[in-house]
Amino acid sequence: MIIIKTMALLLLLAVVGGVGFIYSGIYPVGADNKHNALTFWVLETLRTKFIARASKNIAVPPLTDPQLLLSGGADYNDMCAGCHLAPGQTENDMTLGLYPSPPNLTVAADKHDHDHGEGSHDDPNVIARQQYWVIKHGIMASGMAAFGPTHDDDRIWAMVAFLQKLPELTPQQYQIITARQ
Amino acid sequence: MKIIAPVLLLTILSGLSVSTIAHSPEMHKKANAEKPKCEGMHNMDHGNMDMNDPVMMAMMKQCESTTDDHHDEKHNKKDKKDKHSDDHGDHDMKKNHG
Repeated sequence: MIIIKTMALLLLLAVVGGVGFIYSGIYPVGADNKHNALTFWVLETLRTKFIARASKNIAVPPLTDPQLLLSGGADYNDMCAGCHLAPGQTENDMTLGLYPSPPNLTVAADKHDHDHGEGSHDDPNVIARQQYWVIKHGIMASGMAAFGPTHDDDRIWAMVAFLQKLPELTPQQYQIITARQ
Repeated sequence: MKIIAPVLLLTILSGLSVSTIAHSPEMHKKANAEKPKCEGMHNMDHGNMDMNDPVMMAMMKQCESTTDDHHDEKHNKKDKKDKHSDDHGDHDMKKNHG
C-alpha cells in the first residue's frame, strides 16, 4: 500500500512538474536553436519509424513516363526548390534558416543526411513510397507542408517520378524540364 | 430521422467539395515564366544520346515546340532572302533589256 501511494505521489509530481515546465516558457523554440541530443533522437526516430510504417503498403505506379517528369518537375520548381534546392545549389536562406533543415533533394537519398529506415538502400520503391507519403501528408512542426489537400495523387506521383531523376540532372537539364509551357 | 437526413446531406456535400479543392497546374503559370533554354539541345550530337532515357525524352518533348519555332524562323528568313534575290534578279533583267 505504501509503495502504491509513493508511486502515485511520484507520478503526480512528474505530471505537475511537466506541466509547470511547459507553462514556464523555459524550453527554447527558436529555429536558430538546436534540440538536445535526446530530444533530437526521439523526434527523428518517431518520424522515421512512422513514415516507414505508414507508407509500407503504398503501391508505386510506373514512374518512367517522360510526361511525369515534365509535370512533376514544373511543380517541384514552383513549390519545392525554394527549400529543397535545384542542381548547382548547395544552400539558401531556407536551408540555413529552417530547423530541421530541409534535405537537399538534388543529391541521392543516401547522401542527404536523412534516414529512410530499413530496406531503403536495397529497394528504390521504399524511397518512392516514403516520398509520396511525405509530399501528400507533410510533417507536422517541420515546415514540410501537406500537398494532398491541394494536389491529387497523379500530380504527387509525378513529383515523386521527378525526384527519382533529380540527383542526376545538370542545371541545364533541370531548366529545360521544369520550364512551364 | 429528422437529424440523419441533413447530416447525411452535409456529409455528401463536404465530400464533393473536398474532391474539388485540388487545384489545376494552370494556377502555377506565371506571366513572365522562363521558357526552356533549348539552344544547347539543338547542337547536341543525338547519335551519342540514349533516346530511351526518360530525362532525354522529356527534354526532347519540351524542346519540340521551340525546335519548330526555330525551324520556322530559319525558313522565313530563307524565304525572305530568296524573294529579295528574285526581286534583284528581275530588276537586273529589266535594266539589261531596257
